Amino acid sequence: MSKYTEDDLREELKTKEYEYGFYTDIESETFKKGLNEDVVRAISKKKNEPQWMTDWRLEAFRVWEQMEEPNWANVTYKKPNFQEIAYYSAPKPKKKLDSLDEVDPDLLETFKKLGISLEEQKRLANVAVDIVVDSVSVATTFKKTLGEKGIIFMPISEAIQEHPELVRKHLGTVVPTTDNFYAALNSAVFSDGSFCYIPKGVRCPMELSTYFRINEGGTGQFERTLVVADKGSYVSYLEGCTAPARDENQLHAAVVELIALDDAEIKYSTVQNWYPGDAEGSGGVFNFVTKRALCETNAKVSWTQVETGSAITWKYPSCILKGNNSVGEFYSIAVTNNYQQADTGTKMIHLGKNTKSTIISKGISAGKSQNSYRGLVHIGARAENARNFSQCDSLLMGNECGAHTFPYIETKNSSAQIEHEATTSKIGEEQLFYCNQRGIDTEKAIALIVNGFSKEVLNKLPMEFAVEAQKLLEISLEGSVG
Amino acid sequence: MLKIENLHASVEDRAILKGINLEVKPGEVHAIMGPNGAGKSTMASVIAGNESYEMTEGVIELEGVDLADLAPEERAHQGVFLSFQYPVEIPGVSVTNFIKTAINENRKAKGLGDMPAKDLLKKIREKSALLEIDRKFLSRSLNEGFSGGEKKRNEIFQMAMLEPKLAILDETDSGLDIDALRIVASGVNKLKSKDNAVIIITHYQRLLDYIKPDFVHVLYDGKIVKSGDASLALELEEKGYDWIKELV
Amino acid sequence: MELKEKLVASYVAFESGIDIHTDIHEIRTNALRHFEKLGFPSKKLEAWKYTSLNSVLKQDYSLFPDNEIAIELADVKKYFIHDIDTYKIVFIDGKYSSFLSETTHDGMDVCLLSAAFRKPKYKVIIENYFNKIAKQDNLTSLNTAFASEGAFIHIPKNVEVEKPIQIINFTTGAENATMLQPRNLIVVEQNAHVQIIERHQSLTSNSVLTNAVAEIYVDRHATVDYYKIQNDSIHASLVDNVFIEQQSNSVCSVHTFSFGGNITRNNLNFYQKGEHIDSILKGITIIEGKQHVDHNTLVHHIAPNCESHQDYKGIYNERSTGVFNGKVLVNKEAQKTNAYQKNNNILMSNRATINAKPQLEIFADDVKCSHGCTIGQLDSDALFYMQQRGIPKKEARALLMYAFANTVLESVKIPEVKKRITKIIANKLAVNMGFDL
Ligand SMILES: Nc1ncnc2c1ncn2[C@@H]1O[C@H](COP(=O)(O)OP(=O)(O)O)[C@@H](O)[C@H]1O
Ligand SMILES: [Mg+2]
Repeated sequence: MSKYTEDDLREELKTKEYEYGFYTDIESETFKKGLNEDVVRAISKKKNEPQWMTDWRLEAFRVWEQMEEPNWANVTYKKPNFQEIAYYSAPKPKKKLDSLDEVDPDLLETFKKLGISLEEQKRLANVAVDIVVDSVSVATTFKKTLGEKGIIFMPISEAIQEHPELVRKHLGTVVPTTDNFYAALNSAVFSDGSFCYIPKGVRCPMELSTYFRINEGGTGQFERTLVVADKGSYVSYLEGCTAPARDENQLHAAVVELIALDDAEIKYSTVQNWYPGDAEGSGGVFNFVTKRALCETNAKVSWTQVETGSAITWKYPSCILKGNNSVGEFYSIAVTNNYQQADTGTKMIHLGKNTKSTIISKGISAGKSQNSYRGLVHIGARAENARNFSQCDSLLMGNECGAHTFPYIETKNSSAQIEHEATTSKIGEEQLFYCNQRGIDTEKAIALIVNGFSKEVLNKLPMEFAVEAQKLLEISLEGSVG
Repeated sequence: MLKIENLHASVEDRAILKGINLEVKPGEVHAIMGPNGAGKSTMASVIAGNESYEMTEGVIELEGVDLADLAPEERAHQGVFLSFQYPVEIPGVSVTNFIKTAINENRKAKGLGDMPAKDLLKKIREKSALLEIDRKFLSRSLNEGFSGGEKKRNEIFQMAMLEPKLAILDETDSGLDIDALRIVASGVNKLKSKDNAVIIITHYQRLLDYIKPDFVHVLYDGKIVKSGDASLALELEEKGYDWIKELV
Repeated sequence: MELKEKLVASYVAFESGIDIHTDIHEIRTNALRHFEKLGFPSKKLEAWKYTSLNSVLKQDYSLFPDNEIAIELADVKKYFIHDIDTYKIVFIDGKYSSFLSETTHDGMDVCLLSAAFRKPKYKVIIENYFNKIAKQDNLTSLNTAFASEGAFIHIPKNVEVEKPIQIINFTTGAENATMLQPRNLIVVEQNAHVQIIERHQSLTSNSVLTNAVAEIYVDRHATVDYYKIQNDSIHASLVDNVFIEQQSNSVCSVHTFSFGGNITRNNLNFYQKGEHIDSILKGITIIEGKQHVDHNTLVHHIAPNCESHQDYKGIYNERSTGVFNGKVLVNKEAQKTNAYQKNNNILMSNRATINAKPQLEIFADDVKCSHGCTIGQLDSDALFYMQQRGIPKKEARALLMYAFANTVLESVKIPEVKKRITKIIANKLAVNMGFDL
């Protein structure tokens, strides 16, 4: 009797090609490979930046030169040669674009293939989108609607020109240039990204969204995102990432800084689907990202991430719970297959009183992949009544992959309450048979069970994203019936 | 409809079923009784195609289709439904989502498209009313934290949704209180027609008071040792299984 | 001179007192070189992130104390489990005390490592087991370099040892500061059964640093129950390195009770080499002042169908620090592993610190592994309830703490050990109670 086993499924997963592996032939302007002070200056000059910005970059570069690439994560890879990367690449017909009509049609076609038709999103989803291809923001939709509320949402390069005081005040305050190797590199060479400011008391009426895409070969992408939610404001921010299939390893070293002032709330959701490399483990994006949020009094930041792509993921979206009563949340699904390696998790730094954090992490490993959760819960001596709940579940598919959990828990306050739980399991034979008996084949059954396993996190995503995320998890849609 | 001939099955090289013969015609209700460990659940699992059990000999046919080489879901598509003695829990998957997936997969096997949401909703309403299931219940994770009775009722609800040709109810009555038993039994009765058939596995007469069997079979040590009409169940109730053991 | 240099320099003197024309000595010399290269662990090492030995390494230790100070049994009796008959292997300042000991060669060997090194009839055992599973890390290598004395226990096939064995290391404090490096070798053959109680005890307020290593081999169907009572003086620090290799169907439990001492670091490593093995790691830590206890555990599941159970409870008062660094490693081949790890902590003071790092590293898919770690307080409702029924707050708290720790005590198989621990806990909590839970 033939049986569709998990092995068969894995086999099939292997042969499913990366759907976003196409390359758009847009003429682009790319810097020569290599990195030195002159390149940093040139990037700054290209962007017509003020002197303070140039100095800031140079300082970061000098720090970076002294730093060593970290190797504590549970990942192994050939270290990139930082002189073999081009640090700037922009689609060429680079005049300023005010409406979508002016965007290069090829590029629009790219977006279509990505499944993000801008028009459609505009109409249906009420999402304002900033799109960064390689290094440059291409179009920011909905500028006007947002402008009426005083919301600033624009490429960070423009923000440096138009709102230098705001950028200067906040840039690097959550992730200092000296923070870590990749953050320092990013600070020196970032070429674009998004900037968002929500004024006091304003609820941003729509989801803000950025799509990142690496298009050009031999380039790295170093975007920088800065979100400032002023007192009592609210914003939900989405981020999506894709890259074409290439047999080389491309480097993505982004920095995201979130600042939630008193009573503000930021929801930051990521669906990361960078090219993961092929079934033999060659190619794929190295995703080394620093994401951190600062929460002032009563502020709340939720990180939600669905990580399915990248050859290597090194990423720990964190919350510094500085203000009293502030809240940090981290919801994550990380799926690894073939030779992918993910080392991801969060840091919750409780400094203020009555601070609360929740960590829900779901890791799914298949193929020959390695999936690690690494997290820190730190309760400072003054953080009276801090609360943390962490749950890390791993699902293993097949016997060639690994699931690892490395939680660090540090407490210096006796009123802290911390609960950490972790489990590892596989899909039960009985569960599969039960589904089969009801006429659901094994592949579908696995998708269903994986969907259930990931549910707590999927539920945290905004609708538009949940759809894409589920598609990425190869899971049928959960319907609206019932 | 169902034809079982000389069915032998073993688990981990231990023979459990030792030559079962059974024929079930459309419109019939068969009851299978027998002491614990006789092999009743094993028989149900083998019909449904559970691969923990190895079918070593014999024939299982449904409407002339040989089931032996079919995967469990293909048998389900043919119209076999098993109400499990111990339904499994699937965390995070709601009853609704599960049944929707099951229905659409069964339709897909028949070359039909997905059932329109409107129709599905209507059907869910109808069937949950039939089994007096609270709608809130439908959004809970499948069988997770369900009481014994809720699990069984949920099984019959799924049966109502899937409308199988052959339903095998494995100790569906255990864990049910008397009201729930009546609800489940009347549900089964309403679903019964001249075109489908039911096999009821049970220890007790009480379910058979509600669902009248046309035939009663006694399974003992992997074989059907006695068959009769509804009165056999009563006789068993009175004399106990020791009586059967003496027969063998 | 830094302690490291001092140790390395003393090696020549050490060699003059022992037989250096043996295979063992080659192992020692290699280990010394290894230690020389690695030095003492610093906080930069991930495994030592939360424990610094700097303060204890600063002392000017006497490495080979040679005062023969006699100890009266009456003075130290209280440190023994004395209400039952036991074998005893007792060392005073690292030297064997035949007066306080009770060893045997009757059907088994409960004796000294130095004797085992010397006598030809133990040659095969030493060759097969000495330094075979001890890690090549810095402190273990240091111990290996100077390994000359300790307990040697060999239980042959099918022997059920009728009474527990106590291993006690006394320090007299004749020197200002003493460093000891006891080395134990325990070989328990097929289907044998043994219970061991271990204690390190300093008798004055002079500083002591003990760097102990034990290798324990548990053959098929054998059972070993090991109890470590750590209630030393506040001037004594201990690094206890234990390596346990288990074969199929064996059961080995280690209970560690940490109440005393200055800095205590327990490196407890289990290697499961066969199927159907059960490994049990339990601990109670109750400390105060500036005490520091670090439990560093590893359970390496190498073969299928095995289990491990870890349960560590900690109560931290005043400025004390607790560390739990527990790792469960499941190899690809180790299908059907059940591994459970629990670490529950109560912080009684705002100046106390707890650092926990419970890790799972899993390479097999058909396993059940879980860990849970909690940090919290005593249940205030329960406290109030008891007070309402007339139990004074101090006693009520003690009772709750005892109940909290009780899951660990429950599995202690020697009633006298359980009684002793209960008494120590009562003393610790300054209540006069029997804790009849
Ligand atoms: N998966 C299994 N593994 C091992 N033995 C089994 C398994 N399933 C059933 N058996 C054994 O087969 C026999 C019949 O069991 P079962 O069919 O459940 O009996 P019944 O349902 O009639 O009580 C029992 O002895 C039972 O222990
Ligand atoms: Mg049964």
